[in-house]
Amino acid sequence: MKVLVLLTSFLFITLTAQSQSSPQVRFDTANDLLEEGKYREALKQYRQIEDSGSSSGPLFLNMGIASVQIDSLGLAKYYFLKAEHFESVKNSAEKALEFVNSQFSRQSAKLPKLPWDKAVDIFKNTPGTFGLFLIGYISLCIALIVIVLDWFNLISLAKRNTIAISLLAITVIMVSLAYYVDYVDQRYDEAVLISEESEVRQNPKESSELVSMAYEGYDLTLDRKKSEEFSGWYYIRLGNGQFGWIKSKGIEIL
Amino acid sequence: MIKTGKKLASLFIFFLFVFSCQKSNAQSVSVQATLTETNIFEGESVQLDIAISGTSLSSLERPEIPTIEGLRYLPNRTISSSNYSYINGKPSLTQTFGFQFIAMSPGSFNVPSIKIKVNNKEYATKPISFKILDPKTIDNGDAERSPDIYVRLEASTKNPVVGEQVVADIVLYFKSEVEVSNYNTVPGWKAEGFWKEELNNPAQARSTSVIINGIRYKRARLLQYALFPTKPGELTLSPYSLSVRVRNNRRTSRDPFNFSFGQENKELKTLPVTLNVERPPGIENAEYIGAVGDFEIKRTIKPTSAYVGESVEIITEIKGTGNVPLLNKPEYEFPESLELYNPQENSAITRDNRKIGGSKVFTDIVIARNDGLYTIPEKRIATYNPSSDKYEYTVLPEITFNAEIDPNATVTTLEDMRLDIDPVTGLANWEQKSVIPLKNRKSVFVLMAVPFLLFIGAFGYKTYYDKLTNDSGFARSTKAREMAFSILEEAKKTEDIKESYHKIQKALSRFIADKLNLPIAGISAQRLLEEVKDKKLNSSALADLKRIFEKCETVAYAPNISKEDMETDIQKSRELIKELGKVL
Repeated sequence: MKVLVLLTSFLFITLTAQSQSSPQVRFDTANDLLEEGKYREALKQYRQIEDSGSSSGPLFLNMGIASVQIDSLGLAKYYFLKAEHFESVKNSAEKALEFVNSQFSRQSAKLPKLPWDKAVDIFKNTPGTFGLFLIGYISLCIALIVIVLDWFNLISLAKRNTIAISLLAITVIMVSLAYYVDYVDQRYDEAVLISEESEVRQNPKESSELVSMAYEGYDLTLDRKKSEEFSGWYYIRLGNGQFGWIKSKGIEIL
Repeated sequence: MIKTGKKLASLFIFFLFVFSCQKSNAQSVSVQATLTETNIFEGESVQLDIAISGTSLSSLERPEIPTIEGLRYLPNRTISSSNYSYINGKPSLTQTFGFQFIAMSPGSFNVPSIKIKVNNKEYATKPISFKILDPKTIDNGDAERSPDIYVRLEASTKNPVVGEQVVADIVLYFKSEVEVSNYNTVPGWKAEGFWKEELNNPAQARSTSVIINGIRYKRARLLQYALFPTKPGELTLSPYSLSVRVRNNRRTSRDPFNFSFGQENKELKTLPVTLNVERPPGIENAEYIGAVGDFEIKRTIKPTSAYVGESVEIITEIKGTGNVPLLNKPEYEFPESLELYNPQENSAITRDNRKIGGSKVFTDIVIARNDGLYTIPEKRIATYNPSSDKYEYTVLPEITFNAEIDPNATVTTLEDMRLDIDPVTGLANWEQKSVIPLKNRKSVFVLMAVPFLLFIGAFGYKTYYDKLTNDSGFARSTKAREMAFSILEEAKKTEDIKESYHKIQKALSRFIADKLNLPIAGISAQRLLEEVKDKKLNSSALADLKRIFEKCETVAYAPNISKEDMETDIQKSRELIKELGKVL
């Protein structure tokens, strides 16, 4: 009897713990808080889900909505930009972004991306770095199979060498591209300024010459590699193409 | 001799008749005396003109000419003319008397004040000083060498300050025998380092007479520019080019009767003129807006009370003479809560009396975003007056305006500014963050390694296969053990002991021969032993091999060999093959 009670208790505790750690349960709790108008508490709950490593479009959309309610438009923009990457809430996120961008008192000029940067973005999203790598990998495998089968006279192709060299060339290109896109993805990050304003300086020093002022909601491109050299500062590019150092406080990296 | 008395008398009567009907209170009379030349050579004639102007000349007496020292009056050459015109809608009459004189003796003299009675009132001309020069002082060589016509750029000052107006005159000098019919400017004159404005130039240039190095020239100012230096230092005005059409009346030996009429076009160019531009002195406690000249500054606000969100204009008007085009907008300290818009700028330039002037109006546009009283503090502006060589200060008093909330304005409700997106409250698709860079993914390296390893293996197999096919020695060596064991297996199965030992010998011989790529047939056991010995087979194995070879050769003569002995030897042969396989 004692064993049965112990087993039951163990199962109950395990199931309870599992249900508490489930992101959906936390999400529902946070949604209740949001509906009750407890925006800060709701945002806190949402953040716990995000910190646990779970993510979803509705989570970021709701976080953006909560941020709008607490009048933190920079933060709202950050979450809506994250939500935009999820197909299920893409339309809502775009609409919300339009609204948030219209609310900023200062708008940043934004230079269009260079064609090569656009191409890198496309490759990053579809098929992604691993996808590119796989294309190269499959091409390599086919090339090697063609060569080996030819060695043992199992196939007879008229343009065997051309096919093999072409496939190997595709492999080199696709794998190089995969690693380049991966390098760019790792080195540069998109970020949003969520504090009211921040100074952009020539060098990572308070006394350095002022390059520009950045205001809440400004889109920034962050050079992670350069930024690692100085703690508390990020090396960024503003939307208008100017470069400079900005304090890391108040910047959210996408 | 010409009689002029009757003509003059009839003229006076005519004027009296015409102007007797004019109102007496409209009378305004001016009297002016001028000499046609003020530098006269001895023996030259000169004319003294006395002009009497007025809206009504009801009575006018011919001026009495006093004795003028240095000049002799020629009474029979007096002329008279009249001109009637409208000035500002009012009629004006000018009566001019011209008296001819001859210069008598060198020296400096004066034409004294001359009294004239007009409309029963006495007026007097101003005295005129003049010089009579001795013709003997003229060097005929200089006169010959001096150019008949030339043009000069004459600057009003050579040491202006930055922003000060400099009048640059383009002046034509030509000798009396030269006739200038017209002129054209060559476009493209640049006054680098200056702001350039063309002044009002007369349609027809008037010439005056001057004596330069003892030679009489006519001087005509053709054009005039107002130049404002924009930076300090030595600034050079580049040459100004003119094209003039002239006729020389001097008869030359080639054309003694002047039949060619002497018409020709001449390209003339001024010499470059360098000005030393100085910086205005420094100032304190005021803002210098770059104004050089005589200016008045005024600041106003319109309206003084506005609704929140309505634009309010702060107008700064700067009027006067000087570098109006170069004036900068004064910078004001606006309260932070005011939204500032791009200021507007308007200017109007006048070019009267050889001076650039006018007004410049700067309009700052501000919008109050909150209600309240806004104050723009007073401002002290400095302008530099080059005539007094000092700064003049103008204090613009503080201005205030009140911003109120418009009670009739449409209130933007929170509803209008609401984010019209509902949160997602149902089930969500959850993903785990797994963004591992390609370079950190082990699976990538494993995936890359697999085809390469397989490829290397295939290559190795291909090489082995090719060697096996093409190299008989290698093929024999590779298959030697298998072959030997096969023969031994046959030996084991054979019932005849002698036959078995024959096969054992065959297995060992074949193995060694295959391994060493020796011919299979016709090779003795002794040769094989020697070959093996060279390969450093250990001594016990060598002894065993020797023993088995000997036994195989002598088995035909050995009567007592059991099957067990044979199997033992087969087993021993197997071991020997393994041993030999290590060294061969």
